[in-house]
Amino acid sequence: MNDSSWSIFVVLLVLLSFILVGLRQKARESQEYGFGGRFTGRIGGGAAIASNWMSAASLMGLAGIIYLHGYQGLAYVIGWTGGYVLLLVLLASQIRRFGKFTTPEFVGERYGSKPARLIAAVIAIAISVIYCVAQFKGIGLIFSFMFGVGYEQGVVYGALAVVSYLVISGALGVPRNQQLQYLVICVAFIVPLMWLARRLGYFWVLPQFGYGRALTDLWREFRIDFTLPFADDSLFQWCALCFTLMVGTGGLPHVLSRFYTVPNVRDARWSVVWGLFFIALVYWSAPAFAVFGRLIEARRGMIPSPEAARAAADVVTLNTAVAAGLPGWLVGVLAAGALSAAFFTVAGLLMTGAASISHDIYYSFLNPRASERARMQVAKGGTLVLAAVVLIIALDPPGLIAEITAVAFALAGNTIFPLFLLGIWWDRANRYGAIAGMLTGVLCTVAEPVFGGTFPAAASFFPLTSSALCGTPLVILVMIAVSLATPPPPEAMRSFLEQEVHGHMD
Amino acid sequence: MSRPEKRSKVNLFRPKKGHMRDEVLIILAILFGWVVCTFGFQFLVYACRGTGAGSLLTRLTLFNLPLHFWFTGQFLPLWFIFLCIIFNVYVDRITEYHSRKRDRSYE
Repeated sequence: MNDSSWSIFVVLLVLLSFILVGLRQKARESQEYGFGGRFTGRIGGGAAIASNWMSAASLMGLAGIIYLHGYQGLAYVIGWTGGYVLLLVLLASQIRRFGKFTTPEFVGERYGSKPARLIAAVIAIAISVIYCVAQFKGIGLIFSFMFGVGYEQGVVYGALAVVSYLVISGALGVPRNQQLQYLVICVAFIVPLMWLARRLGYFWVLPQFGYGRALTDLWREFRIDFTLPFADDSLFQWCALCFTLMVGTGGLPHVLSRFYTVPNVRDARWSVVWGLFFIALVYWSAPAFAVFGRLIEARRGMIPSPEAARAAADVVTLNTAVAAGLPGWLVGVLAAGALSAAFFTVAGLLMTGAASISHDIYYSFLNPRASERARMQVAKGGTLVLAAVVLIIALDPPGLIAEITAVAFALAGNTIFPLFLLGIWWDRANRYGAIAGMLTGVLCTVAEPVFGGTFPAAASFFPLTSSALCGTPLVILVMIAVSLATPPPPEAMRSFLEQEVHGHMD
Repeated sequence: MSRPEKRSKVNLFRPKKGHMRDEVLIILAILFGWVVCTFGFQFLVYACRGTGAGSLLTRLTLFNLPLHFWFTGQFLPLWFIFLCIIFNVYVDRITEYHSRKRDRSYE
């Protein structure tokens, strides 16, 4: 079997095993407990957070952006790990105590406003769509690699596969075993890397450290300096990108909702630590793929042009594995890991997005008398509509996987993060401030493409992938100013914040 | 005569005495460590470019990686984990300290 056949075989095996394990777990739990879902401890909770987080951006995009930009790409590593510190210290315990499970629910309850809830729902859906476009690009590239077809065909096959998987899992009622998913994704990423390091003659037991010598060789043999700080971009751009990804992490709807799957606040906090550790394991490894990729290319006499390097960046992990002559089954394992991560991220986001269309837009706003059945039909239709929208955008992807994902983070950081931050930590924030803040956040996010031509300063201060460094503080100021200029929120909500969210120890 | 508006009861920069004040103190301390190491270090690398200190940061190696690359790519994620552990241990302690005779299973 060649690499492609092995990949198809391993991918099918992995996806099928997830369904079988899920079915077995469902049968056992209904036998033992009488209801689905179980608590697996702080480590299990951490693995679930990490599994929820892992996507094509982590497993393909990160190595790609570092392969392309070297040190500048590390802003993604820092942004996507440092954001968890913000999330933990500022929001995790408090939103757990607040007790609302989704972003629109939180906004609707905290700010007591249907329009604010509607805007929050639309923003959360937009974030999901942008995030899914990046995942679809990853899925399309892997399908194109597996079946030897063009990218567009790969995306269409991938979309069909995702929707089919959603339908099959939904029809069988398969629960997600996120601990197993994390284990598979992590092993599928790190074992091929160890093999790669061994094959190239570097320290393979911990390739996360072993790639240092490869970096030295890259400089010594080919004068390629991968570590030069701020070579392509400025300090401002590095910090803006890093900060955007951090606040975006703190505002991403599907990350925030993770804190409700553990039984108490203390476990929620400790699960974040384990989650961050599991995420860091993969993020310490991604630069190694990028460095090995560059080294193998250079040793083969291939110094790609910037355009060619950009075109190849998102598949650098797979290309490097193939170029290094890794066994076909191991290339298949690598592809299966990345595909699983993208698959489950898309599945989760499409379902959450569709639920939001059905509940927050259709039921809460358009038709409050809708029956359960009608809402379910809207949710199912919503899944297909969202998948179709994502597919159309992904057919001509606007950037690299990491860059597209960064736009989703920028939107989350400019809109949802300030909403949660002030909603939790300032009882005077009100519905008018929330609406003004969200609208300002949207404007900040799209400032570069929409106003950049007329006002070049907009493009400088609010770059599309990094708009939150200036955007988030501006949104916070707008929220504060508008809230102070308008009547305060109801006393009941302020007391709830004081007594339940912050006063639980008084 | 209109009644003066009641003072805000929840404010990150004016925390109530007790648990909230202790919690805010540790939050600010952790955020300080987070900002200084993340952005402060990048500023240092940028400011020291072309100087002796700058070449020290980029020429010294750790695990065969230049110091600045190792610090950013490998140490910072570890630092974030460390900050989270410190935060959790401290919050666990202040929760113990402030909890009175009550049902502890909630926390």
